Amino acid sequence: MKFKVVFLNLLAIVAFAIPAFAHFQMVYTPEIAVNKGDQTQLKLVFTHPFEAGHTMDMGVPEEFYMLHQKGEEGKTKKVDLKSYLKPITWKSLTNSGKAYEANLPKKIVRSMGDYTLVLVPAPYFESEEDVYIQQITKTYMNVGGMPGNWSVPAGLKTEWIPLVKPYAMWTGMTFKAQLLSSGKPVPNADVEVEYMNHAPEMKKNGFAKKANSEAPQDAFVTMGIKTDAQGYIEFAVPKAGWWGFCALGSGPDKEFKGKELSQDAVIWLKAVDMK
Amino acid sequence: MRKMTAKIIMVGLIVLSASAAFAHSPLCSCFDNGDGTVLCEGGFSDGSSASGVRIFVKSESEEVLSKGTMNESSEFEFKKPEGAYTVTFDGGEGHSIVIDGSDIVE
Repeated sequence: MKFKVVFLNLLAIVAFAIPAFAHFQMVYTPEIAVNKGDQTQLKLVFTHPFEAGHTMDMGVPEEFYMLHQKGEEGKTKKVDLKSYLKPITWKSLTNSGKAYEANLPKKIVRSMGDYTLVLVPAPYFESEEDVYIQQITKTYMNVGGMPGNWSVPAGLKTEWIPLVKPYAMWTGMTFKAQLLSSGKPVPNADVEVEYMNHAPEMKKNGFAKKANSEAPQDAFVTMGIKTDAQGYIEFAVPKAGWWGFCALGSGPDKEFKGKELSQDAVIWLKAVDMK
Repeated sequence: MRKMTAKIIMVGLIVLSASAAFAHSPLCSCFDNGDGTVLCEGGFSDGSSASGVRIFVKSESEEVLSKGTMNESSEFEFKKPEGAYTVTFDGGEGHSIVIDGSDIVE
C-alpha cells in the first residue's frame, strides 16, 4: 500500500515537472538590421525555442508576404513571398519537423526601409490538447537605417504593434507593444515570452546544441506577462539575441474543423549588446 | 518687461524647434541596375523624405557629370559613367553624403 502511494506521488511529481514549453512560430534570419540589402534566407519553423525542443510539422502556409516601406511618407509595397517557399526538415534537439525556408533575391530586399515579414501559417493540430493552433507571426527587417512602416498595423486578424523598433534594440532596452484583435486592443491577454536559447544554424537546418543560457526554474523558460487595460506590454530585454512574444488565443477565430482554435499573435525582436 | 520676456521665450522656442529639426541624419544608397544605369535612393533617419534633395555625379577630377534632384519617391537615376566617379547626396550643411562609385554594385 505504502509502495502504491509512493509510486503515485512520484508519478505526480514527474507529471508536474514536465516543463510547460511554449509553442513559437519562428520567422528567422540571422541579421535583421543591415546596412545594405542583400539576398536573404529565412527559416520558418514551429518549435519550442528556449529548449530547442520538439519541432512541430508545419502545413503549407496560408499567407506569407512582406510589407516594404521606405520612409514614413513612402507607400507600402506588398510582396507575396509564397513562391519563394521551399519545404525543409528542421532538427530540434529531440526530433525533426517539417518547416520551410525562403531565399529572397536581392532585387526585392535591396531598397532601404522597413520590411515587415508576415506569416499566416496553416492551423496546427495539437493532439495532446485536442486543439488547433495558428500563430500569426511578424518579424521585421530594416535596410540602411531608414524607418518605414514598423509601427503601422498590417491589418491582421490579430497582431502586435510595436512601439519600439524591434530591429533596433540594445540589450537592456524596454520593448513596448500593443496587442490587437480585429484592429482593437486586447486587455488582460496572456502573453508567453521565450528567448531563442540555441542559435539556429542556417546551413544545418537545426539548432546548435549549446545553450546560451540556463533557466533556474521552468517559469524562466516560458515567461508569462499580461497585457494591460489598453492591450500594451512592456518587457526589458535582459540578454542579446532573439525574443519571441506570443499572445494566446487573441485572434477572433475560435474554431477550426469543428475543434477549438487558439489563434495567437507572435512578434520577434532582436537585441544586440553595446560594444 | 512682459514684452521682453515674451520675446525671449519666442526666440528660445524657435532655437529649440530649429535644433530639433537637425536631429536626423541623411541616408543614401545606390545600386547598379545592371543595364548601364544607377539608381540612388535617399531619405533621413527620422523617416522624412529626400524629395528635392540635390544630387551630383562627379568624375575623379570633380567635374560634374550629372546632376538633379531626388524625385517624389526620394530616388534619382543616372547613366553610369565610364570611369571612376562619386555620387554626392547634398542634403545641406552637415547633411551630405558622398558615395564612391566603386561601392555601387548590382
